[in-house]
Formats: sequence, structure tokens, C-alpha cells
Amino acid sequence: MLVLAGTVPFKGLPLKQGVARFDDDFAIGDNFALPAAELMHCTTAMIATATIACRALGTDPPYAVIAGCLGEGDGSKLVYRFLAEQAEALQPKVLTLHYILPIRLAAEKFIESLRHWKNKPILIADAGGMYVMKPAGFAGDFDLMTPDPGEMAFLADPDAIHPAYVRHFISEVDLTAIPRLIKEAYEHHNAPRVLLVKGNTDYIVRDGEIVATVSEPDIPAMECIGGTGDTITGLVSALAYAGYDLVEAALYASRINRIAGLLTNPTPATRIAEIIRHIPAAIEQVLKGVEYVAA
Amino acid sequence: MPKKEERGKKIALVLFELVQDTMAAEEALKRAGYEIQAVAPPPEVRVGCDLALLIDATVQVGIERALREFAIPFIGVIFPKMIDLRPLDVLKEFDYGNWLMVRCGNMKVIFDKRTGVIVNISGGGCSDVPNLARSLMGKKLAEAPAPRTMGYSLCAYTCDKAYHRALEIWQQGRV
Repeated sequence: MLVLAGTVPFKGLPLKQGVARFDDDFAIGDNFALPAAELMHCTTAMIATATIACRALGTDPPYAVIAGCLGEGDGSKLVYRFLAEQAEALQPKVLTLHYILPIRLAAEKFIESLRHWKNKPILIADAGGMYVMKPAGFAGDFDLMTPDPGEMAFLADPDAIHPAYVRHFISEVDLTAIPRLIKEAYEHHNAPRVLLVKGNTDYIVRDGEIVATVSEPDIPAMECIGGTGDTITGLVSALAYAGYDLVEAALYASRINRIAGLLTNPTPATRIAEIIRHIPAAIEQVLKGVEYVAA
Repeated sequence: MPKKEERGKKIALVLFELVQDTMAAEEALKRAGYEIQAVAPPPEVRVGCDLALLIDATVQVGIERALREFAIPFIGVIFPKMIDLRPLDVLKEFDYGNWLMVRCGNMKVIFDKRTGVIVNISGGGCSDVPNLARSLMGKKLAEAPAPRTMGYSLCAYTCDKAYHRALEIWQQGRV
């Protein structure tokens, strides 16, 4: 089972769990639905993308676990508690943690529980999942994280407790910065087994070594569009669940995301829901080895 | 390595349970004329998503009184020997033709230079970010709610800084 967990911006929404669906609407189980056009960047964009990708890859759809949290922490605590007390029963093959308020004690309970699971899943973290696990010293428990350049600086800095605190931001022309930060993150044991660093150039890293980069097609407007990182996380989760090696999954996820952007022909005002619509065609192009075919 | 400075006992840190309270305190104390800086609290008192205020220890009593008058809850005041002075308001602007992106830390606010409408919010990972995006996108800068009035996290804090820079640029016609 592919289990995707995180918070959604609906105040007071209790924990909801179930199989995710994406047709005209996006739905989780029988009691949470959202019109596809209203998908915002965050956990819902990630789950919707993974659902589409699972269908294209011929696997069963993901199982989603969400709770409403506007930042006050209530819904985040519900998700952490589920992970610590109930997630093992789902026997996940892949488990992805996404938007969530960083609450160190709650994260510690989850990781402590996880270390006693009979079968450890492939663990993926992005967003708040990454923000809470690294300062708590648990990045090494994860198999894959998907930081952007600023978040890479956060992983590299042993004292940073949140990406907001990183002293120096990455210069857009400093091509040496990302490899240096990758090296530092592994030196300080603040990195998972595999990294997919999202940026103008995507870096795919295994055990500290850059094994691939992806720079084309380059679509600068995508940096402005909230959710383009969430779609990558959904894609890499689905690919890992389909059995792709994590490096291969990261490489395909990077390419598929860029092709979906190309097919959308976006501006900085494009919404993520428009890009998600092009993901099935992008998956088909990439997995069939087709070179870029624009819309 | 982050720069840390030894300041003896001339400075102090005000600790808050919620980033939301720190944001409110920063705004209120600055308006009251105090020189303060938002900084990371020391590791031994961190719980997750934290933000403290660096103050001049000589005005500690006045600041505590002011916070009580403003009804802003705070945990207490400590006098650490080492302070982590990473800045939280490093801002950068990126021109995309008809659109301008303002980045602060890990958060980005993108607006249409022709209309002043916020078209996208990008970055961040705390659980209040999607709500900030939903509340800001599609609204004119001058009419949108400030992120600090809705958010709870450090992502909201940096989003607020980016939003205010974008608003300043728009209001001054520097687009």
C-alpha cells in the first residue's frame, strides 16, 4: 500500500482516511471531496498527483490520511498520532509525509514507533515532514526527501531548525552551491539515503553522491507556481510504489514534472490544478521515452 | 557554521509558545518604539517551529509590561550566553515580465505588476501555508489580509515579510 499523510487547510476537519480517487472530483474515501479545479498546492495536490500516477502506472491507488490544520497544530497532532499508533496496521510499502506543523515531540513518538515496525516502509518526506525530521535528527531514518535549494541549505546547516533561519540563500548563478550543500548535509548526517533537490537544475543524489541532474525542459515560470514541488513528491511516491528504484523514481519524477509544465505552457499566474491535468500525458511521454512534445 | 555572538548579559530573549504570538509581539513592540529582532531560540528550549525576540536586557521590565498591556502571552525571558543571529528577513525580487516574485526565506509571493493582484504563493511546508495561499491568491495586494494575521508558523512569518515588501513595491509604483 502507498500511504500518503499530511494536513489540509480546512479548519476543524477531523482525521479522514481512505482510498484516494481522482475523476471529475478529487476524493478520499467516501467523505472528503474537492472539485479538481480547486486543488491548491499542499497535501491535496500531492495526493491527487500520486493518484493519477498510480493509475497510469497500473498500481492500486494510494491510501490517504489527512486532517484539517490551519497552523494551530490540532490537525497535525491527529496525523502524527495516526502515524505512531495506527499506520503500521496498513502495512505500507511506501509512506510519504507532507504538509504538517513541525512538532518535535509528536514526530519523535512516530519515529520511535516506526523503529519497532515489523516491516519498515520506504519513507519519503517533503515540506513539514522534512522540516520536523531534520532538526529532530531523524533525516537518516528516511529513504528520500525532496528539498528545494533553500530547504537544501536547511538540511546542510546542522544548527538550522527551519528553512526560514538559513543564513545565506542560494545565489541563482552559484552553480557550486547545491553540490556543496549536499556534501555538508551528508557530513552532518542530516540527509536521507536519496535526495531529489528541486530547482532550475534538479539533482538526484544517492548516499551523498550526485548520480544524475535534470535541467531540461527549463520552464522558469514553474518556480512561481505553488505546488510544483508537491506534484514531484506525488510522482516520486507513486513511482517508488510501482517498484522503481528510488534514484530511477526521482529521475522520472523530475522529467515528468517538467514535461507536465511544458504541456501547460504556464505563466507565473498559472494554478497548479492546470499542471496536474497534464500529468497523465507527461507520464506517457516520459515512460515511453518520447522527447519533449509541447502542447 | 551560523554566526553566533557572545553578548554577555546585556541582551535577553523573550520566549513565546506560539510563533503567532511572537509575530504579534514584534509588531506591537516595534510600534511602541522598542528595538527588537526576531531570532531562533536556543536549542535547549526549542519545541519545533519556534521564534523568539531578541531584546535589550535593560528594557526587559518595560517590554514585559508592554506585552501584558497588549495581552500577548509569553513564556518568559532568558539570558543566553550565545545567540543565533540568523536573519529572517532576507528579501529578494525576481522579475518575470508582467509579474514580480518577492522571496523571503523559503516563501515566495508573486503578483501581477499591471493589477497588483497576488497570482501565486509558493514555497513553505508548515500546515498554515495552504490556507495562506488560499486566502491571498486572487486578491489585490492592498486588500489582502496580512499573512501574520492568519498564520502560526515561521513560514507565515517569512510569507508576511515577502507580502509587505511586495505591497511596498506596488504602493510606491516601483514595478
